[in-house]
Amino acid sequence: MSAALRASGVELSFGATPALRGADLTIATGEIVAVMGPSGSGKSTLLHCLAGILVPDAGQILVDGQRIDTLSETRRSELRRDRFGFVFQFGQLVPELTAAENVALPLLLGGVRRKPALQQAREWFDRLGLEGLHGRRSGELSGGQAQRVALARALVGGPQVLFADEPTGALDSITGEQVMELLVSLARDRGTTVVLVTHEARVAAYADREVIVRDGRVTSFDTQEAAA
Amino acid sequence: MIRLGLRMAVAGGRAAVARLAIIGAAVAIGVGLVLAALAGTTAVQRQNAHYGWLNSAHAEAATGPSAADPAWWAFREDYFRGRSIARIDVAVTGPHAPVPPGLSALPGPGEYAVSPALAELLRTTPPDQLSERFPGRRTAVLGRDALASPDLLIAVVGRTPADVAGLRDATQLTRFVSVSPEHCLRCYVGTGINGMALILAVVVAALLFPLLIFIGVATRLSAARREQRLAAMRLVGATPRQVATLATIESMIAATAGTLLGFGLFLLLRPVLAHVPFTGLRFFLDDLELTWPAALLMLFGVPIGAALSARLALRRVRMSPLGVMRRVTPKPPRAWRLLPLIAGLAELTWFVGRKPYTTNGQTAAYLSGILVVMIGVVVAGPWVTMTGSRLLARLARRPAGVIAGRRLADDPRAGFRSISGLALALFVGSVATGVITSYVAERGDSAATPIIHNLMTVTSWSGHGQQPLDQASVPPSLTAVPGVRAVVLIRDNPQIDKNDPNSWPGLISCADLTRIPGSGHCSPGAAAAQVFPNLVPPYGGSVRGGSDPQWPPAPEVPLDRQAVIGVAVDTDGSPAALETSRTLLENAFPQVDGAASEGDIRDDSTRLLRQMQRLADIVIIASLVIAGCSLAVSITGGLNERKRPFAVLRLAGLRLSDLRGVVLLESAVPLLAVSAVAVAAGFVSAALFLKSQLGYELRPPGAGYYAVTGTGLLVSLALIASTMPLLRRLTGPASVRND
Amino acid sequence: MSVPLTLLGLLERQPSHGYDLKRDYDTYFGRGKSLPFGQVYSTLARLTRDGKVVMDELAPGDGPDRKRYVITEAGATEVDAWLAEPVQAEPHLQTVLFAKVVLSLMLDRGAKSYLDAQRHAHLQRMRELTEIKRSGELVDGLLADHGLFHLEADLRWIDLTAARLEQLRAQVRR
Ligand SMILES: Nc1ncnc2c1ncn2[C@@H]1O[C@H](COP(=O)(O)OP(=O)(O)OP(=O)(O)O)[C@@H](O)[C@H]1O
Ligand SMILES: [Mg+2]
Repeated sequence: MSAALRASGVELSFGATPALRGADLTIATGEIVAVMGPSGSGKSTLLHCLAGILVPDAGQILVDGQRIDTLSETRRSELRRDRFGFVFQFGQLVPELTAAENVALPLLLGGVRRKPALQQAREWFDRLGLEGLHGRRSGELSGGQAQRVALARALVGGPQVLFADEPTGALDSITGEQVMELLVSLARDRGTTVVLVTHEARVAAYADREVIVRDGRVTSFDTQEAAA
Repeated sequence: MIRLGLRMAVAGGRAAVARLAIIGAAVAIGVGLVLAALAGTTAVQRQNAHYGWLNSAHAEAATGPSAADPAWWAFREDYFRGRSIARIDVAVTGPHAPVPPGLSALPGPGEYAVSPALAELLRTTPPDQLSERFPGRRTAVLGRDALASPDLLIAVVGRTPADVAGLRDATQLTRFVSVSPEHCLRCYVGTGINGMALILAVVVAALLFPLLIFIGVATRLSAARREQRLAAMRLVGATPRQVATLATIESMIAATAGTLLGFGLFLLLRPVLAHVPFTGLRFFLDDLELTWPAALLMLFGVPIGAALSARLALRRVRMSPLGVMRRVTPKPPRAWRLLPLIAGLAELTWFVGRKPYTTNGQTAAYLSGILVVMIGVVVAGPWVTMTGSRLLARLARRPAGVIAGRRLADDPRAGFRSISGLALALFVGSVATGVITSYVAERGDSAATPIIHNLMTVTSWSGHGQQPLDQASVPPSLTAVPGVRAVVLIRDNPQIDKNDPNSWPGLISCADLTRIPGSGHCSPGAAAAQVFPNLVPPYGGSVRGGSDPQWPPAPEVPLDRQAVIGVAVDTDGSPAALETSRTLLENAFPQVDGAASEGDIRDDSTRLLRQMQRLADIVIIASLVIAGCSLAVSITGGLNERKRPFAVLRLAGLRLSDLRGVVLLESAVPLLAVSAVAVAAGFVSAALFLKSQLGYELRPPGAGYYAVTGTGLLVSLALIASTMPLLRRLTGPASVRND
Repeated sequence: MSVPLTLLGLLERQPSHGYDLKRDYDTYFGRGKSLPFGQVYSTLARLTRDGKVVMDELAPGDGPDRKRYVITEAGATEVDAWLAEPVQAEPHLQTVLFAKVVLSLMLDRGAKSYLDAQRHAHLQRMRELTEIKRSGELVDGLLADHGLFHLEADLRWIDLTAARLEQLRAQVRR
């Protein structure tokens, strides 16, 4: 069984507001899955649970068959650092740091020395068409550039799973398409599993399959295809 | 990690650097202040220790080997132009006399040794005013070991044993006291050290509190932005510990820089500090030193303290990768917040009529009471703010008032925080002013008559167990001294009734009394009057009448047959006349205490009072300035933080003038409400203290207080108003965009 | 737009006269282009011939309006299959999709699951087009994009309809 991620019976409430009420989802290794659904249905919350950012009230989250909802805050942080990558809508770059330092951040946090970390970060700039931008601060980048920097940062550590929440939400359709194109081709090259939350069909069309979140529950299609 | 933290702390652009600079500067001032206080405490102690040998009459405190030949020793206080001189008459009885600090040997008959400051005075003063008081010639100058201060005036006068043995309080000693007066019960020469250390502590606390508030305000600047950044770090996998480390490094940078700067500030200002006559006399520069443990404690303690507090602060917000966990609207402050304030005032009230006996007991009682009230003001602040804001929301007609009232009532703590420094400054100012104005009104120069300064007297009366004066010794040359207007004799009252508060030890003829202006007048029809030997009614006595007291009539006794117990010389008040007559009187009556005017004797306490008043002024103004800085910083910071909501309000149609009203009211309401409470608490505390400790009533403060307080409040309001142009710029439509 | 299947669906609600069928059709699906009587009767005749509809002689007398049409077992099965099956994802599907949703609601079938299935079918097609776009020639890519935008419009409509399903149900089932 090659499930990279599995959520079963996940429930989570914010105070009196139930956001997830028994969500089940299995994602195979290397699969790109689009998570769709109406606004407020719990898509982001599901992603946060899968990524170990939020801890569910009930149910289990398994990464490579290992439960992560029982891990300590520190262990989950390390898991995010070492095995996950994140691209969100905006506000994820640290404005005080240069673009290159932002990309190198997961490496630096993981204890890689400054020189090699920055060196590794630089390589990504060429690959993503960001030549010459590594010295800029996040405020000095366009939305699409910032999003590509975020993508570089998500991928620099060679993650097993890439979590993307509306990665093109703040971009126009052409720029969004470029970012998606990059994201998908890089993920496919590396066999990275991708969880992609989006409400745009054209973005979801980059995925292998889509699941719908409605009222805190997940509807999947083609489970037989996915298992095959 | 550390490098990353450093980068982030300094790379945050102008705002971040400004924030660090503000914190650093505040820390520097605070550290400098505390260092000055620590060094000051050391200096007070060392200075006091140098007074030790002057107390050698109290041989039970003496230590060390005894000398073979005892020496005679008689200490008394003398004066010169308002300064006091420690005069010791000594007589050696053999070649192996004890040796005092600062001298190679005690001076023999016909020799005397003086402190450098006195030597300088001797050089520049006509001999008949000063040097003629010391028989013989100057053979030595006292060394550093003997001196508590460069300004100290000491004369060690060598005489024959027979001469000294006849002096008041003469003793024989074989060794000198070397312990500090604070460890020697009966040693009275020295500084009231407990009092001094305590006053120092109060001054430092009064300045440190506003500084700490300032640092707190500055630390909170752009908190939202920093929280967002830390959240972004958490998202990519920074562990809680790593984030804590980053925040710690950031606050340590400012604290470390500030601490180093504070040390620099202290070293730079040390020479100036030494000149501040805190104990009445300057310090020697080498006494004003930091002890190693104190220096190390500050050097490492402040940055470590900053780091710890940063960690604690972070623990409270619990940084999640999605940003600070949704903040619940804080619970409204409850009325229990008034309890500490009430408790403090209750404590002070309790001590009215129950004044503790010892000085330590008194300081503990009153200071702790005032400190509790001070804390009470800070604790009660949010509640007062909330009450004020609810009132505002209820009464408001215009949208500005309603919005400001709601916002304040929603988070009164934040509203109070920006003005808390000001509230403290006003409290401290009110207590100090209330106490000092009343004290000065009771004790100060207000009841002064010319004789307090002009009348030089020697007294020796049986009530003090002394021999009367020999009338024949009164030097005839006295009347010839330029500026001397009259010389009168005060005689013994043989029928003094100790149980009658209106009976006095001296007698004077009414004719003599009228020769001395300001000495009062006889009862109608009397030929002579009962008087206090120096013609000044003592404090709290039954003689009233201010500058022209009416003395009770003398009993029916032949006046010229009574012994002489006082010689009073009325002068025109010029220093030359005063000092010349003092020199003549002292040489004529060497066995009694030195000649002195009432002013000389009072001077010690009035000088101290004046210094305290000046100190209080400095503290009030400095804390007002610091509080003003916190206010400015917190208002601009608050505007910056909230520029988006404000911009949205403007886009939604709120007029700029209304927005201005909101900002103004948000600061002005807590400012005025809490200031009223702080000032009231201050004066009530002062009144209770005065009533309990001194039995005085509180007097209304002078114009200076209103000027300072009014200016402080006006400047604060002006500070708030000065952010108005900023408001227009900050809340332009551009701010609605995300950045 | 499949008129025969739509009429069959309307018949499944209740046996109807030809005239009623035309009126209902015009109300829900005609939208400015009413169905001619001739087409109604010819379609019904064809359906009768295929055994999907039978005539039910109710009242004595003659004239077309005396006859009521009733759906047969075979006819009902066909409607069932048709409603559940997503339409081949291609542009200009609006009328069919709409007819299916309305009929599903009228007949109390799973309109929601139909929409999900349709969305899935659309996305499936969009994935194919995206793949063409990513790997093919520019011309193919541009054509694919055209299809993608149209499909996306449909999908948006699907999402919107899914969100308004309850309101629509209340309207068509009065
Ligand atoms: N921090 C929070 N506190 C309280 N309620 C929350 C919080 N975050 C989300 N919710 C609620 O949980 C539910 C699910 O939110 P979630 O963000 O997962 O929705 P979503 O599907 O991502 O929506 P969108 O497409 O608008 O991003 C919503 O009802 C939302 O109001
Ligand atoms: Mg979301």
